[in-house]
Order: sequence, then C-alpha cells, then structure tokens
Amino acid sequence: MHDAISLEGQDRATAVVVTTEFKHEAEVQRAALGMEGLVPVVIQHPLSTLSDEEISDRGADAAAQAVRIWLGQAAG
Amino acid sequence: MPLDTPNSGIAVFDPRGVVEAEAIPIGRRHNTLAGLRLGVLSNRKWNGNKLLRATVKALEADTEFASVTFYEKESFSKNADPHLLGEIIADSDIVLTAIGD
Amino acid sequence: MSSDAAVTTQAFPSNGRVADDTDLVEWYYAQGFSDGFPVVPPTPDKVEAMLEALGGDPDYLECRVPPRWGGLTRQVLAVNMVMAGCLPSYAPVVRAAMLALTSQAFNLHGVQATTHMAAPLLVVNGPIRNAIGMNSGHNVFGSGNRANATIGRAIRMILLNAGGGWPGELDKSTLGHPGKYTYCIAENEEVGCIAPYHVDKGFEETDSTVFVMPAEPPHSVTNHVANDPEGILDSIVSAMSTIAHNNAVSSGHCAVVLGPEHARVMAKYEWKRHDIRHYLWYQAHNKFGDVAFQHRYGKVYNRSLPKWYSRRDGDRIPVVPTPDHIHLFCAGGEAGRFSAFIPGWGHMASPVLREINGKSPPGGGPQCVDGTCYL
Repeated sequence: MHDAISLEGQDRATAVVVTTEFKHEAEVQRAALGMEGLVPVVIQHPLSTLSDEEISDRGADAAAQAVRIWLGQAAG
Repeated sequence: MPLDTPNSGIAVFDPRGVVEAEAIPIGRRHNTLAGLRLGVLSNRKWNGNKLLRATVKALEADTEFASVTFYEKESFSKNADPHLLGEIIADSDIVLTAIGD
Repeated sequence: MSSDAAVTTQAFPSNGRVADDTDLVEWYYAQGFSDGFPVVPPTPDKVEAMLEALGGDPDYLECRVPPRWGGLTRQVLAVNMVMAGCLPSYAPVVRAAMLALTSQAFNLHGVQATTHMAAPLLVVNGPIRNAIGMNSGHNVFGSGNRANATIGRAIRMILLNAGGGWPGELDKSTLGHPGKYTYCIAENEEVGCIAPYHVDKGFEETDSTVFVMPAEPPHSVTNHVANDPEGILDSIVSAMSTIAHNNAVSSGHCAVVLGPEHARVMAKYEWKRHDIRHYLWYQAHNKFGDVAFQHRYGKVYNRSLPKWYSRRDGDRIPVVPTPDHIHLFCAGGEAGRFSAFIPGWGHMASPVLREINGKSPPGGGPQCVDGTCYL
C-alpha cells in the first residue's frame, strides 16, 4: 500500500491487488497513511494452491476491477 | 488527559496512541485506457508474480496499451526504492501492483 | 467482543473516567487492551512514576508504531508499561527497544503483518541487566523473572495497542509463537567465556544495550557427549541445516545461544566468537535443489536468497549469507549441556543494536547499502 500511495501521490492511478485475507490490512493502511480514496483490487484468497486455470480466472477478476479503478468507476 | 480532573469516578487510560494522518488525494483518473503506458510492479513473490502476469494478460485482451513495463522491487516486505518509484512514474501513466501471499 | 472492535471502533469514555465500582481488570479486557493476560490497571500514580522515569513530558512523541501507526508518546509508553507490570527502572530498556524496533532497518511493519511466526527477540547486555534484576541464568527463556517477563510483555502490549497487531487483524501470522507474549532475555556475561555481544560490536563493557531481531522460537540443541568445540557446534550445525525454517528460504539473520557448559568447552580450547560464528557458517548448509523442492512445482530460482548463491541443484548453499548474520550469545544456567538455535525471519529485516541511554551506536547503527542492512 505504501508504494501505491506514493504512486497515487504522484498522479499515477494505481491498482493494488490484495487477497480477501489482506483487505482489512489494506484499509487500515490507507487510513493510517491518509489516502482513504484508494480502492484496492480484492480477489479471493488463497493464491498459492491454485492451478494455472484458476490463476487465470483470478487474473480476469483482478483485471476487471483494475480497469474500474483507473477509470475512476470503483466504489469503496 | 489531565490526571487530576475533579470528576467522580476512576481515571482510565487509552494505551493505543493517536493515529494522525494528513489527507492525501488520489491521483488523476482516466477516460480511456487505450494508448496509456502500464507499469507493473512485482513484489518478487512467486504467487503474486503469477497473478500479475495473468492480470496483464486479461487486460491486454481488451485494451491496447502504449507499453507494458514490468518492474521488481527489492523485497516483498519493504517499500520500493524511491529511485525505482521515480522510474515507474517517469515511464507509466497507470500502475498495477500486488501485496500478500 | 471481536478484536476488530478493539482496534477500530471501541469508544473510549470522553472524560477519561469510569464508575467507581468498575472492575478495572475486566474493563481493560472489555476494551480489548490486553494481550490475553490480566493487565495491571494503570492508576494516575503509577503512570506518573513511569513518566518520571521516562523523563517527563507526557506528549513527547518517541515513535510511531506500525502497521496502525499509533503515536507512542511518553504517556502512551508509560501506560502500556504499567499495564504490563513493569517497574519504572525498566523504562530505559523498553524505550530503547521501541526505538530500535521502529528504526527503518528493522522493518517492524513487515514483522507485525507477516504470515510467518516471527516475534521480536530482545537481548539485553551491560550493567543494566543486573541493576534491574534480569535473569540471564537458568530458564532464561522461561518464566519466573519480573524484568524479563514484563519488559517483553510491554513490547507486545505496545505492538498490539499502538501498533494494532491484533491476531487476524493486522497481525496475519498463521501460527504465532509463545514469544509473542514476551521474548526478552539478558546475556550471561558472567560466564565470561566469550566477549559480551555488545563489546564484540564496539561498545564498552560499561555500556548497556538492547539487541532486537525478529525470530522464530528457540530450538533446543542437546549435546551431552562432545568435549570439543567441533563436536558441540556440529549439533548446532545440524539444527541449522534444514529447509524447514525461514533462514533456509528467505536468508537473513539468525541467533545462536550457547549454554554456559557448552561455552566453557569453547573457552577451554580458546575458541572465540569469531571462530564459533565462522565454524557454524562454514559447516551449516543446505543443497539448493532441496530448497527449490527439486523444481517439482516449477523452476525455482528463489529471489529471496542472495544472487551469488549457486543455483545448481547439487551445490551446497550456506544457511545465512555470512558469519556476521549469526548473532551469538551466551545465556542460561550453569548446569546442563544445552544450547539453542534461533532462526530469524529473513532478509526482509535487519537486527538492531541500540545503547540504552541514548548514546549512538558505533557507526550510527546498521549500515544500509544498496537496500541491504548489516548490523
């Protein structure tokens, strides 16, 4: 989140992908660092035990959310 | 909190400390993604890296970016080096990154 | 009450007071301000005494504690220390430890949030150990000593309350370990077989220091037979040479604690710190192929290990990159032929050694070059 906040602070719209297990941490971090407007991409945990096909599905989910974030259409 | 407040009751203390953060606005959003330069910052984690590549593949199926550049930070657990962030800012319009396992 | 409420939503009484008949131990439990054990209710008198030991000025900000980034003012530090059961005489140690933990090299944010089980290990050196009654002898990692127990507990209370490291919340450790209640020892300098740790690092014997390192629990090393340095150290080498701990896959620093009987064997053969650390580094190893799971799950390079390690499957690679990544201490009771290996967290953090009363460490602390820090 630190990197994303640094990048957003320099006007680079940033999609930061977290799994559901780390969503709360991401939200606390953005609050603690002052960027409540930063919406993360949240995908289902876990990643490590997935097949290539499942990783592909997670990637498609992340891509759809990232697009909304860069276009300013994400709520959160 | 003053310790000698003449109120009734027992004094209690908050051990948490105050979180103080100056509000920082997010960066500019875009009307379209076509023709933008996409920077992808990997944290070097095995699974995170696989996910980022899958995400970029899905993005490229619908959008023609001007460029897609992959970057790696030194450690998944530390902030990216300011020099690396400077490079990303110079060469990207939008950024994709990932945290966690 | 969920820990979620404890961190983010619990309202604190606006006038800072509760009814006269309140059971304060239960009240602090209900707020979520406990590590699981009952806390010592912080009364104004006790907080004031602790503040005085910290130098007064209750609003003075010592540091901010990640990942919640709560401001650790002297008042907040004093409150947590009282709640943990500390005496005011422990104040310089706890403060120095928090300043060490929040220095950039330590990467406390990562340590607090990691899924690994690491907890900060504290080792105290110098005259303050005895001045405040710390235990460096029998059962040194165990229970029974107020200073060891409550200094370590105060650190944990601060990491929970100010740092927000509540389990499942911002602390994502899969398993944790018992050192997350308290993990604080003193080096047994009185054994005198090897130079005190802080002297080896350039401090005077009259200085007092605190060393902090994110660490797994101690792994006991038994050797009742060997009567030479190599024999004893080979048992420690055996504990180190496995792919199961975090150093094996993430490199970084580790600690070794020699029990006094083992340390005396080193002294008998005139083996110094330098000899012991180099022997352990040179002998302890894994095969890269084992660390890479023989590439059973895909071609593994492992970027967490140093670039210069061989990536050929049959080649041996060291457990930590250099002998300086092995932090050697002598501690424990006089009877018993035991030592301990304590794996660290990995290359993501550097241990920090800090003088307790504020003198700058030699060279200004860990040297960070090209993103890598060495103590």
